[in-house]
Amino acid sequence: MNDQDLDYQFDDFAEGRLNQDAFVAFKKRMEEDASFRAKAEEHVRVVEALKLYGRREVVLNTLREISLPTPTSVRELTSNTAPVANRSVRRIWPMMAVAASVALLSIVGTLFMTQSLETKQTAYYKELRRNVEQIKRSQSMIIADIASKEKPAPLPGRYAGTGFLVSGNGYVVTSHHVIKGADSVYIENEFFGRLKTSVVFSDADNDVSVLRIDTSTNFAAFRLPFMVNAAEANLGEAVYTLGFPREDVVFGEGSISASSGYRQNPNAYQVSVPVNPGNSGGPLFNSKGDLVGIISGLQTETSGAAFAIKSTVLLDVINEMPLDSLQAPLVLSKQNNLRNLPKVDQVKKWREFVFIVRVYNNK
Amino acid sequence: MAEYYFDELIITEIRKNNEVALQELYKTHYPMVFHLICSNTGTEQEAKDVYQEAIIAFYERVQQPDFVLTCKIKTYLYAVARRLWLKRLGEKKRFQGMEEVETFFGIEDEMTNLDEREKTFQLMKDALDRLGDPCRSIIEDFYLNNHSMDEIRDKFGYTNADNAKNQKYKCLQRLKKLFFAGYNEITE
Repeated sequence: MNDQDLDYQFDDFAEGRLNQDAFVAFKKRMEEDASFRAKAEEHVRVVEALKLYGRREVVLNTLREISLPTPTSVRELTSNTAPVANRSVRRIWPMMAVAASVALLSIVGTLFMTQSLETKQTAYYKELRRNVEQIKRSQSMIIADIASKEKPAPLPGRYAGTGFLVSGNGYVVTSHHVIKGADSVYIENEFFGRLKTSVVFSDADNDVSVLRIDTSTNFAAFRLPFMVNAAEANLGEAVYTLGFPREDVVFGEGSISASSGYRQNPNAYQVSVPVNPGNSGGPLFNSKGDLVGIISGLQTETSGAAFAIKSTVLLDVINEMPLDSLQAPLVLSKQNNLRNLPKVDQVKKWREFVFIVRVYNNK
Repeated sequence: MAEYYFDELIITEIRKNNEVALQELYKTHYPMVFHLICSNTGTEQEAKDVYQEAIIAFYERVQQPDFVLTCKIKTYLYAVARRLWLKRLGEKKRFQGMEEVETFFGIEDEMTNLDEREKTFQLMKDALDRLGDPCRSIIEDFYLNNHSMDEIRDKFGYTNADNAKNQKYKCLQRLKKLFFAGYNEITE
Protein backbone atom coordinates (compact mmCIF):
# COMPACT_ATOMS: atom_id res chain seq x y z
CA MET A 1 0.00 0.00 0.00
CA ASN A 2 1.59 3.30 -1.00
CA ASP A 3 1.41 6.54 0.92
CA GLN A 4 -1.31 7.92 -1.29
CA ASP A 5 -3.64 5.02 -0.61
CA LEU A 6 -2.81 5.28 3.04
CA ASP A 7 -3.74 8.95 2.94
CA TYR A 8 -7.02 8.00 1.36
CA GLN A 9 -7.70 5.48 4.12
CA PHE A 10 -6.81 8.02 6.80
CA ASP A 11 -9.33 10.40 5.31
CA ASP A 12 -12.01 7.76 5.48
CA PHE A 13 -11.07 7.03 9.06
CA ALA A 14 -11.06 10.70 10.08
CA GLU A 15 -14.46 11.30 8.50
CA GLY A 16 -15.95 8.12 9.91
CA ARG A 17 -16.61 6.61 6.51
CA LEU A 18 -15.01 3.23 7.20
CA ASN A 19 -17.37 0.30 7.44
CA GLN A 20 -17.39 -2.01 10.45
CA ASP A 21 -14.82 -4.52 9.19
CA ALA A 22 -12.45 -1.92 7.83
CA PHE A 23 -12.73 0.04 11.05
CA VAL A 24 -11.83 -3.01 13.17
CA ALA A 25 -8.89 -3.80 10.89
CA PHE A 26 -7.75 -0.20 11.07
CA LYS A 27 -7.92 -0.16 14.85
CA LYS A 28 -6.02 -3.42 15.02
CA ARG A 29 -3.26 -2.08 12.86
CA MET A 30 -3.05 1.02 15.01
CA GLU A 31 -2.45 -1.14 18.04
CA GLU A 32 0.19 -3.23 16.37
CA ASP A 33 2.05 -0.61 14.41
CA ALA A 34 3.22 2.41 16.42
CA SER A 35 4.36 4.45 13.44
CA PHE A 36 1.08 3.76 11.67
CA ARG A 37 -0.74 4.87 14.75
CA ALA A 38 1.26 8.10 15.02
CA LYS A 39 0.57 8.87 11.35
CA ALA A 40 -3.12 8.19 11.74
CA GLU A 41 -3.45 10.35 14.83
CA GLU A 42 -1.55 13.16 13.17
CA HIS A 43 -3.84 12.96 10.18
CA VAL A 44 -6.96 13.03 12.31
CA ARG A 45 -5.71 16.02 14.27
CA VAL A 46 -4.99 17.99 11.13
CA VAL A 47 -8.34 17.16 9.61
CA GLU A 48 -10.14 18.11 12.82
CA ALA A 49 -8.22 21.37 13.01
CA LEU A 50 -9.14 22.02 9.40
CA LYS A 51 -12.80 21.40 10.13
CA LEU A 52 -12.69 23.68 13.14
CA TYR A 53 -11.09 26.35 11.01
CA GLY A 54 -13.70 25.88 8.30
CA ARG A 55 -16.64 26.11 10.70
CA ARG A 56 -15.24 29.20 12.37
CA GLU A 57 -14.61 30.89 9.07
CA VAL A 58 -18.26 30.35 8.13
CA VAL A 59 -19.42 31.82 11.43
CA LEU A 60 -17.02 34.73 11.18
CA ASN A 61 -18.23 35.49 7.70
CA THR A 62 -21.79 35.46 8.96
CA LEU A 63 -20.87 37.83 11.77
CA ARG A 64 -18.86 40.10 9.49
CA GLU A 65 -22.01 40.89 7.56
CA ILE A 66 -23.29 42.66 10.66
CA SER A 67 -21.83 45.97 11.71
CA LEU A 68 -22.36 46.58 15.38
CA PRO A 69 -23.30 50.17 16.13
CA THR A 70 -21.63 51.82 19.10
CA PRO A 71 -24.09 51.66 21.95
CA THR A 72 -24.59 55.01 23.58
CA SER A 73 -27.63 54.76 25.77
CA VAL A 74 -26.84 55.21 29.45
CA ARG A 75 -29.58 52.74 30.31
CA GLU A 76 -27.59 49.99 28.73
CA LEU A 77 -24.66 50.49 31.06
CA THR A 78 -24.04 47.40 33.09
CA SER A 79 -23.41 47.43 36.81
CA ASN A 80 -22.14 43.97 37.58
CA THR A 81 -24.02 41.19 35.87
CA ALA A 82 -26.41 42.19 33.16
CA PRO A 83 -27.87 45.31 31.66
CA VAL A 84 -31.43 46.27 32.35
CA ALA A 85 -33.35 44.91 29.42
CA ASN A 86 -34.21 47.61 26.97
CA ARG A 87 -37.78 46.99 26.00
CA SER A 88 -37.81 49.29 23.00
CA VAL A 89 -39.17 48.03 19.72
CA ARG A 90 -35.68 48.05 18.23
CA ARG A 91 -34.55 45.39 20.67
CA ILE A 92 -37.65 43.27 20.40
CA TRP A 93 -37.97 43.05 16.65
CA PRO A 94 -35.19 40.51 16.09
CA MET A 95 -36.96 38.24 18.54
CA MET A 96 -40.19 38.81 16.66
CA ALA A 97 -38.54 38.21 13.31
CA VAL A 98 -37.26 34.81 14.39
CA ALA A 99 -40.53 33.92 16.11
CA ALA A 100 -42.58 34.99 13.10
CA SER A 101 -40.52 32.90 10.72
CA VAL A 102 -40.98 29.85 12.92
CA ALA A 103 -44.73 30.52 13.25
CA LEU A 104 -45.12 30.87 9.51
CA LEU A 105 -43.24 27.64 8.94
CA SER A 106 -45.42 25.72 11.34
CA ILE A 107 -48.63 27.11 9.86
CA VAL A 108 -47.57 26.18 6.35
CA GLY A 109 -46.44 22.79 7.60
CA THR A 110 -49.74 22.12 9.31
CA LEU A 111 -51.70 23.22 6.28
CA PHE A 112 -49.56 21.01 4.10
CA MET A 113 -50.23 18.01 6.29
CA THR A 114 -53.93 18.50 6.91
CA GLN A 115 -54.67 20.00 3.46
CA SER A 116 -57.50 21.90 4.99
CA LEU A 117 -58.38 24.98 6.99
CA GLU A 118 -61.49 23.40 8.43
CA THR A 119 -61.40 21.93 11.85
CA LYS A 120 -63.57 18.90 11.84
CA GLN A 121 -66.15 18.94 14.56
CA THR A 122 -66.68 15.65 16.24
CA ALA A 123 -69.02 16.56 19.07
CA TYR A 124 -72.29 18.09 18.03
CA TYR A 125 -75.84 18.61 19.11
CA LYS A 126 -78.23 15.77 18.44
CA GLU A 127 -81.96 16.20 18.49
CA LEU A 128 -83.76 13.35 20.11
CA ARG A 129 -86.55 12.66 17.67
CA ARG A 130 -87.09 8.99 17.10
CA ASN A 131 -87.37 7.74 13.57
CA VAL A 132 -89.89 4.93 13.68
CA GLU A 133 -90.31 4.36 9.98
CA GLN A 134 -88.16 1.26 9.87
CA ILE A 135 -89.97 -0.52 12.67
CA LYS A 136 -93.35 0.60 11.43
CA ARG A 137 -92.76 -0.47 7.90
CA SER A 138 -91.76 -3.98 8.82
CA GLN A 139 -94.71 -4.09 11.14
CA SER A 140 -97.13 -2.96 8.49
CA MET A 141 -95.83 -5.60 6.13
CA ILE A 142 -96.56 -8.26 8.69
CA ILE A 143 -100.01 -6.76 9.18
CA ALA A 144 -100.57 -6.70 5.47
CA ASP A 145 -99.60 -10.31 5.31
CA ILE A 146 -101.90 -11.55 8.01
CA ALA A 147 -104.82 -9.15 7.51
CA SER A 148 -107.20 -9.24 4.63
CA LYS A 149 -106.12 -7.21 1.64
CA GLU A 150 -109.31 -5.14 1.58
CA LYS A 151 -108.31 -3.08 4.64
CA PRO A 152 -105.23 -0.99 3.84
CA ALA A 153 -102.76 -0.78 6.69
CA PRO A 154 -102.70 2.62 8.38
CA LEU A 155 -99.97 4.93 7.20
CA PRO A 156 -97.04 4.47 9.50
CA GLY A 157 -95.96 7.31 11.78
CA ARG A 158 -92.63 8.68 10.70
CA TYR A 159 -91.30 10.16 13.84
CA ALA A 160 -92.01 9.95 17.50
CA GLY A 161 -91.24 12.14 20.44
CA THR A 162 -92.67 13.00 23.81
CA GLY A 163 -95.10 15.70 24.86
CA PHE A 164 -96.96 16.66 28.01
CA LEU A 165 -100.01 18.59 29.05
CA VAL A 166 -99.22 22.09 30.13
CA SER A 167 -102.74 23.25 30.81
CA GLY A 168 -105.89 21.43 31.86
CA ASN A 169 -107.84 22.69 28.87
CA GLY A 170 -105.94 20.65 26.30
CA TYR A 171 -102.62 22.33 25.49
CA VAL A 172 -99.67 20.05 25.01
CA VAL A 173 -96.02 21.10 24.81
CA THR A 174 -93.34 19.27 22.82
CA SER A 175 -90.11 20.08 21.00
CA HIS A 176 -90.37 21.94 17.75
CA HIS A 177 -88.02 19.53 16.00
CA VAL A 178 -90.35 16.63 16.79
CA ILE A 179 -93.33 18.02 14.90
CA LYS A 180 -91.33 19.89 12.26
CA GLY A 181 -92.78 19.29 8.80
CA ALA A 182 -95.73 17.31 10.12
CA ASP A 183 -98.92 16.69 8.22
CA SER A 184 -100.72 15.47 11.28
CA VAL A 185 -99.77 14.97 14.89
CA TYR A 186 -101.33 12.48 17.26
CA ILE A 187 -100.64 12.05 20.93
CA GLU A 188 -101.18 8.85 22.79
CA ASN A 189 -100.93 7.43 26.28
CA GLU A 190 -102.64 4.74 28.31
CA PHE A 191 -104.94 7.12 30.18
CA PHE A 192 -106.32 9.24 27.38
CA GLY A 193 -105.84 6.90 24.47
CA ARG A 194 -105.11 8.36 21.06
CA LEU A 195 -105.95 12.01 20.52
CA LYS A 196 -105.64 14.15 17.40
CA THR A 197 -103.92 17.49 17.90
CA SER A 198 -103.10 20.52 15.85
CA VAL A 199 -100.05 22.71 16.13
CA VAL A 200 -101.07 26.13 17.40
CA PHE A 201 -97.67 27.70 17.88
CA SER A 202 -94.08 26.90 17.14
CA ASP A 203 -90.92 28.64 18.22
CA ALA A 204 -88.12 27.12 16.17
CA ASP A 205 -85.40 29.18 17.84
CA ASN A 206 -86.24 27.94 21.30
CA ASP A 207 -87.26 24.51 20.02
CA VAL A 208 -90.69 24.67 21.66
CA SER A 209 -94.07 23.86 20.09
CA VAL A 210 -97.53 24.06 21.57
CA LEU A 211 -100.22 21.64 20.36
CA ARG A 212 -103.91 21.73 21.11
CA ILE A 213 -106.01 18.64 21.47
CA ASP A 214 -108.76 18.86 18.87
CA THR A 215 -112.15 19.72 20.26
CA SER A 216 -113.61 16.87 18.24
CA THR A 217 -112.04 14.43 20.67
CA ASN A 218 -113.72 13.51 23.91
CA PHE A 219 -111.07 15.26 26.01
CA ALA A 220 -112.55 16.99 29.03
CA ALA A 221 -110.83 19.88 30.73
CA PHE A 222 -109.49 19.38 34.24
CA ARG A 223 -107.06 21.00 36.61
CA LEU A 224 -103.38 20.02 36.45
CA PRO A 225 -101.71 19.32 39.80
CA PHE A 226 -98.35 20.94 38.96
CA MET A 227 -97.06 24.37 38.08
CA VAL A 228 -94.52 25.61 35.53
CA ASN A 229 -91.52 26.85 37.48
CA ALA A 230 -91.09 30.59 36.87
CA ALA A 231 -87.66 30.67 38.52
CA GLU A 232 -84.50 29.04 37.22
CA ALA A 233 -83.56 25.71 38.73
CA ASN A 234 -80.44 25.54 40.89
CA LEU A 235 -77.28 23.72 39.99
CA GLY A 236 -77.31 20.24 41.47
CA GLU A 237 -81.09 20.15 41.89
CA ALA A 238 -82.51 16.66 41.42
CA VAL A 239 -84.67 16.37 38.30
CA TYR A 240 -86.75 13.62 36.74
CA THR A 241 -88.14 12.96 33.33
CA LEU A 242 -90.65 10.72 31.62
CA GLY A 243 -90.41 10.00 27.94
CA PHE A 244 -91.01 7.57 25.13
CA PRO A 245 -87.71 6.38 23.71
CA ARG A 246 -89.63 3.13 23.29
CA GLU A 247 -93.30 2.42 22.93
CA ASP A 248 -93.47 2.30 26.71
CA VAL A 249 -92.95 5.23 29.03
CA VAL A 250 -89.43 5.40 30.51
CA PHE A 251 -88.47 7.20 33.69
CA GLY A 252 -85.11 8.86 34.11
CA GLU A 253 -83.50 10.86 36.86
CA GLY A 254 -80.45 13.02 37.34
CA SER A 255 -79.61 16.57 38.26
CA ILE A 256 -79.02 19.97 36.76
CA SER A 257 -75.35 19.90 35.71
CA ALA A 258 -75.06 23.37 34.24
CA SER A 259 -77.27 26.38 33.85
CA SER A 260 -76.40 26.76 30.19
CA GLY A 261 -76.90 24.45 27.27
CA TYR A 262 -75.03 23.44 24.15
CA ARG A 263 -72.49 26.11 23.28
CA GLN A 264 -73.40 28.21 26.28
CA ASN A 265 -77.00 28.53 25.17
CA PRO A 266 -78.51 30.49 28.08
CA ASN A 267 -81.99 29.18 27.35
CA ALA A 268 -81.19 25.59 28.27
CA TYR A 269 -79.82 23.50 31.09
CA GLN A 270 -77.33 20.71 30.86
CA VAL A 271 -78.76 17.75 32.74
CA SER A 272 -77.30 14.41 33.74
CA VAL A 273 -80.42 12.48 32.80
CA PRO A 274 -80.09 9.46 30.55
CA VAL A 275 -81.97 10.27 27.36
CA ASN A 276 -82.38 8.64 23.99
CA PRO A 277 -84.01 9.44 20.67
CA GLY A 278 -87.72 9.76 21.47
CA ASN A 279 -87.14 11.62 24.73
CA SER A 280 -87.38 14.99 22.97
CA GLY A 281 -90.23 17.10 24.26
CA GLY A 282 -90.41 15.21 27.53
CA PRO A 283 -91.01 17.10 30.75
CA LEU A 284 -88.23 17.68 33.26
CA PHE A 285 -89.66 18.11 36.73
CA ASN A 286 -88.13 18.68 40.13
CA SER A 287 -88.63 16.99 43.48
CA LYS A 288 -91.76 19.06 44.11
CA GLY A 289 -93.25 17.90 40.86
CA ASP A 290 -93.04 21.31 39.20
CA LEU A 291 -91.98 21.55 35.58
CA VAL A 292 -88.44 22.95 35.18
CA GLY A 293 -87.61 22.10 31.57
CA ILE A 294 -88.24 20.29 28.32
CA ILE A 295 -85.77 17.64 27.12
CA SER A 296 -84.45 18.70 23.74
CA GLY A 297 -81.19 17.01 22.78
CA LEU A 298 -77.80 15.79 23.78
CA GLN A 299 -74.17 16.33 22.89
CA THR A 300 -72.64 13.41 21.08
CA GLU A 301 -69.36 11.97 22.29
CA THR A 302 -69.89 13.39 25.75
CA SER A 303 -71.35 11.05 28.26
CA GLY A 304 -74.20 12.32 30.36
CA ALA A 305 -74.63 15.65 28.63
CA ALA A 306 -78.29 16.09 27.77
CA PHE A 307 -79.96 19.42 27.32
CA ALA A 308 -83.32 20.74 28.38
CA ILE A 309 -85.04 24.00 27.47
CA LYS A 310 -85.72 26.04 30.60
CA SER A 311 -89.29 26.35 31.88
CA THR A 312 -88.79 30.12 32.04
CA VAL A 313 -88.36 30.06 28.28
CA LEU A 314 -91.56 28.05 27.94
CA LEU A 315 -93.41 30.71 29.95
CA ASP A 316 -92.00 33.42 27.68
CA VAL A 317 -93.12 31.46 24.64
CA ILE A 318 -96.61 31.01 26.05
CA ASN A 319 -96.83 34.72 26.83
CA GLU A 320 -95.71 35.63 23.34
CA MET A 321 -98.18 33.33 21.62
CA PRO A 322 -100.44 35.45 19.43
CA LEU A 323 -103.83 35.52 21.05
CA ASP A 324 -105.71 34.87 17.85
CA SER A 325 -103.98 31.55 17.41
CA LEU A 326 -105.82 30.33 20.47
CA GLN A 327 -109.45 29.30 20.44
CA ALA A 328 -109.49 29.13 24.19
CA PRO A 329 -106.99 30.80 26.51
CA LEU A 330 -104.12 28.66 27.69
CA VAL A 331 -104.61 28.50 31.43
CA LEU A 332 -101.66 27.46 33.53
CA SER A 333 -102.21 25.78 36.84
CA LYS A 334 -101.49 27.97 39.86
CA GLN A 335 -101.36 25.24 42.42
CA ASN A 336 -99.15 22.26 43.13
CA ASN A 337 -100.76 19.22 44.70
CA LEU A 338 -97.81 16.89 44.22
CA ARG A 339 -95.48 18.70 46.59
CA ASN A 340 -95.80 16.36 49.54
CA LEU A 341 -96.21 13.09 47.70
CA PRO A 342 -93.44 10.50 47.63
CA LYS A 343 -91.56 10.37 44.37
CA VAL A 344 -93.22 7.17 43.18
CA ASP A 345 -96.64 8.73 43.53
CA GLN A 346 -95.49 11.94 41.84
CA VAL A 347 -94.30 9.90 38.90
CA LYS A 348 -97.53 7.94 38.87
CA LYS A 349 -99.45 11.23 38.59
CA TRP A 350 -97.12 12.69 35.98
CA ARG A 351 -97.47 9.62 33.79
CA GLU A 352 -101.04 10.63 33.06
CA PHE A 353 -99.95 13.89 31.45
CA VAL A 354 -97.09 12.56 29.34
CA PHE A 355 -97.82 11.45 25.80
CA ILE A 356 -96.02 9.82 22.97
CA VAL A 357 -96.21 12.26 20.07
CA ARG A 358 -96.63 10.55 16.71
CA VAL A 359 -95.86 12.57 13.66
CA TYR A 360 -97.06 11.73 10.19
CA ASN A 361 -96.06 13.22 6.91
CA ASN A 362 -96.26 11.99 3.39
CA LYS A 363 -93.05 13.43 2.03
CA MET B 1 -39.79 34.14 30.80
CA ALA B 2 -39.74 35.80 27.42
CA GLU B 3 -35.97 35.74 27.40
CA TYR B 4 -35.90 32.01 28.06
CA TYR B 5 -38.23 31.40 25.15
CA PHE B 6 -36.01 33.59 23.02
CA ASP B 7 -32.98 31.60 24.14
CA GLU B 8 -34.56 28.24 23.33
CA LEU B 9 -35.62 29.53 19.94
CA ILE B 10 -32.18 30.91 19.18
CA ILE B 11 -30.51 27.62 20.13
CA THR B 12 -32.89 25.53 18.05
CA GLU B 13 -32.36 27.78 15.04
CA ILE B 14 -28.58 27.94 15.46
CA ARG B 15 -28.47 24.15 15.54
CA LYS B 16 -30.19 24.23 12.17
CA ASN B 17 -27.43 26.58 10.98
CA ASN B 18 -29.85 29.44 10.64
CA GLU B 19 -27.59 32.40 9.90
CA VAL B 20 -30.26 34.96 10.69
CA ALA B 21 -30.69 33.62 14.23
CA LEU B 22 -26.96 33.85 14.83
CA GLN B 23 -26.86 37.38 13.52
CA GLU B 24 -29.80 38.40 15.68
CA LEU B 25 -28.13 36.93 18.73
CA TYR B 26 -24.94 38.76 17.77
CA LYS B 27 -26.75 42.09 17.62
CA THR B 28 -28.76 41.53 20.78
CA HIS B 29 -26.09 41.28 23.45
CA TYR B 30 -23.36 43.52 22.09
CA PRO B 31 -24.16 46.57 24.26
CA MET B 32 -23.65 44.49 27.40
CA VAL B 33 -20.14 43.40 26.40
CA PHE B 34 -19.34 46.82 25.01
CA HIS B 35 -20.00 48.44 28.37
CA LEU B 36 -18.22 45.68 30.25
CA ILE B 37 -15.03 46.26 28.31
CA CYS B 38 -15.24 49.98 27.76
CA SER B 39 -15.78 50.59 31.45
CA ASN B 40 -12.72 48.42 32.15
CA THR B 41 -10.08 50.29 30.16
CA GLY B 42 -10.93 48.64 26.85
CA THR B 43 -11.64 50.16 23.45
CA GLU B 44 -14.54 49.64 21.13
CA GLN B 45 -12.41 47.49 18.82
CA GLU B 46 -11.34 45.32 21.71
CA ALA B 47 -14.94 44.98 22.79
CA LYS B 48 -15.87 43.80 19.31
CA ASP B 49 -13.02 41.27 19.22
CA VAL B 50 -13.85 39.85 22.62
CA TYR B 51 -17.56 39.74 21.88
CA GLN B 52 -16.97 37.97 18.59
CA GLU B 53 -14.86 35.38 20.35
CA ALA B 54 -17.55 34.85 22.99
CA ILE B 55 -20.22 34.42 20.31
CA ILE B 56 -18.08 31.88 18.49
CA ALA B 57 -17.48 30.02 21.75
CA PHE B 58 -21.22 29.89 22.28
CA TYR B 59 -21.90 28.85 18.70
CA GLU B 60 -19.41 25.99 18.85
CA ARG B 61 -20.77 24.91 22.21
CA VAL B 62 -24.32 24.79 20.86
CA GLN B 63 -23.23 22.64 17.93
CA GLN B 64 -22.01 19.94 20.30
CA PRO B 65 -24.60 17.20 20.66
CA ASP B 66 -24.38 17.08 24.45
CA PHE B 67 -25.09 20.76 24.89
CA VAL B 68 -27.74 21.70 27.45
CA LEU B 69 -28.65 25.27 28.30
CA THR B 70 -27.91 25.66 32.02
CA CYS B 71 -28.08 29.43 32.18
CA LYS B 72 -29.29 32.28 30.05
CA ILE B 73 -27.35 32.90 26.83
CA LYS B 74 -26.73 36.38 28.14
CA THR B 75 -25.09 35.03 31.30
CA TYR B 76 -22.94 32.68 29.25
CA LEU B 77 -21.79 35.42 26.90
CA TYR B 78 -21.15 37.80 29.75
CA ALA B 79 -19.09 35.27 31.70
CA VAL B 80 -17.02 34.19 28.73
CA ALA B 81 -16.41 37.76 27.56
CA ARG B 82 -15.41 38.71 31.06
CA ARG B 83 -12.87 35.89 31.31
CA LEU B 84 -11.48 36.64 27.89
CA TRP B 85 -11.07 40.27 28.78
CA LEU B 86 -9.39 39.40 32.07
CA LYS B 87 -6.95 37.24 30.20
CA ARG B 88 -6.15 40.00 27.75
CA LEU B 89 -5.70 42.48 30.57
CA GLY B 90 -3.35 40.04 32.25
CA GLU B 91 -1.32 39.76 29.06
CA LYS B 92 -1.17 43.54 28.77
CA LYS B 93 -0.41 43.94 32.50
CA ARG B 94 -3.28 46.32 32.78
CA PHE B 95 -5.12 44.29 35.33
CA GLN B 96 -7.28 46.73 37.25
CA GLY B 97 -9.32 45.30 40.04
CA MET B 98 -11.70 43.08 38.12
CA GLU B 99 -12.25 40.05 40.26
CA GLU B 100 -12.28 36.44 39.13
CA VAL B 101 -15.69 35.11 39.91
CA GLU B 102 -17.38 31.85 39.01
CA THR B 103 -20.29 33.22 37.08
CA PHE B 104 -21.74 29.87 36.10
CA PHE B 105 -20.93 26.28 36.85
CA GLY B 106 -18.30 24.79 34.54
CA ILE B 107 -16.85 28.04 33.27
CA GLU B 108 -13.30 26.85 34.02
CA ASP B 109 -13.62 23.86 31.67
CA GLU B 110 -15.34 26.09 29.20
CA MET B 111 -12.44 28.54 29.15
CA THR B 112 -9.74 25.85 28.92
CA ASN B 113 -11.60 24.28 26.07
CA LEU B 114 -12.11 27.61 24.35
CA ASP B 115 -8.45 28.47 24.75
CA GLU B 116 -7.49 25.17 23.13
CA ARG B 117 -9.81 25.75 20.19
CA GLU B 118 -8.61 29.30 19.73
CA LYS B 119 -5.01 28.09 19.59
CA THR B 120 -5.87 25.37 17.07
CA PHE B 121 -7.76 27.87 14.96
CA GLN B 122 -4.87 30.34 14.88
CA LEU B 123 -2.35 27.59 14.07
CA MET B 124 -4.45 26.28 11.23
CA LYS B 125 -5.03 29.78 9.92
CA ASP B 126 -1.29 30.50 9.91
CA ALA B 127 -0.50 27.13 8.39
CA LEU B 128 -3.01 27.67 5.59
CA ASP B 129 -1.73 31.16 4.96
CA ARG B 130 1.79 29.85 4.58
CA LEU B 131 0.67 26.91 2.44
CA GLY B 132 -0.36 29.22 -0.40
CA ASP B 133 -2.31 28.48 -3.56
CA PRO B 134 -3.23 26.21 -5.24
CA CYS B 135 -2.62 23.87 -2.30
CA ARG B 136 -4.81 25.87 0.03
CA SER B 137 -7.73 25.87 -2.40
CA ILE B 138 -7.44 22.15 -3.03
CA ILE B 139 -7.38 21.38 0.68
CA GLU B 140 -10.28 23.72 1.39
CA ASP B 141 -12.33 22.36 -1.48
CA PHE B 142 -11.72 18.78 -0.46
CA TYR B 143 -12.11 19.01 3.32
CA LEU B 144 -14.32 22.04 3.89
CA ASN B 145 -16.50 22.34 0.80
CA ASN B 146 -16.69 18.56 0.40
CA HIS B 147 -15.96 18.64 -3.32
CA SER B 148 -15.27 15.32 -4.98
CA MET B 149 -11.93 14.49 -6.57
CA ASP B 150 -13.53 14.76 -10.00
CA GLU B 151 -14.70 18.29 -9.31
CA ILE B 152 -11.25 19.23 -8.07
CA ARG B 153 -9.67 17.68 -11.15
CA ASP B 154 -11.91 19.80 -13.40
CA LYS B 155 -11.41 22.97 -11.42
CA PHE B 156 -7.64 22.82 -11.28
CA GLY B 157 -7.17 21.29 -14.72
CA TYR B 158 -5.63 17.94 -13.81
CA THR B 159 -5.74 15.27 -16.47
CA ASN B 160 -7.23 12.62 -14.23
CA ALA B 161 -8.53 12.08 -10.71
CA ASP B 162 -5.41 10.19 -9.69
CA ASN B 163 -3.29 13.22 -10.42
CA ALA B 164 -5.62 15.35 -8.35
CA LYS B 165 -5.49 12.79 -5.55
CA ASN B 166 -1.74 12.82 -5.63
CA GLN B 167 -1.66 16.60 -5.54
CA LYS B 168 -4.05 16.71 -2.59
CA TYR B 169 -1.89 14.18 -0.76
CA LYS B 170 1.22 16.28 -1.28
CA CYS B 171 -0.56 19.44 -0.15
CA LEU B 172 -1.84 17.75 2.96
CA GLN B 173 1.63 16.51 3.82
CA ARG B 174 2.93 20.07 3.59
CA LEU B 175 0.06 21.37 5.67
CA LYS B 176 0.75 18.76 8.33
CA LYS B 177 4.36 19.84 8.49
CA LEU B 178 3.45 23.53 8.79
CA PHE B 179 0.73 22.89 11.35
CA PHE B 180 2.82 20.73 13.66
CA ALA B 181 5.84 23.01 13.27
CA GLY B 182 3.71 25.88 14.59
CA TYR B 183 2.33 23.64 17.29
CA ASN B 184 5.78 22.65 18.51
CA GLU B 185 6.93 26.25 18.47
CA ILE B 186 4.22 27.14 20.97
CA THR B 187 4.67 24.20 23.28
CA GLU B 188 8.43 24.35 23.42
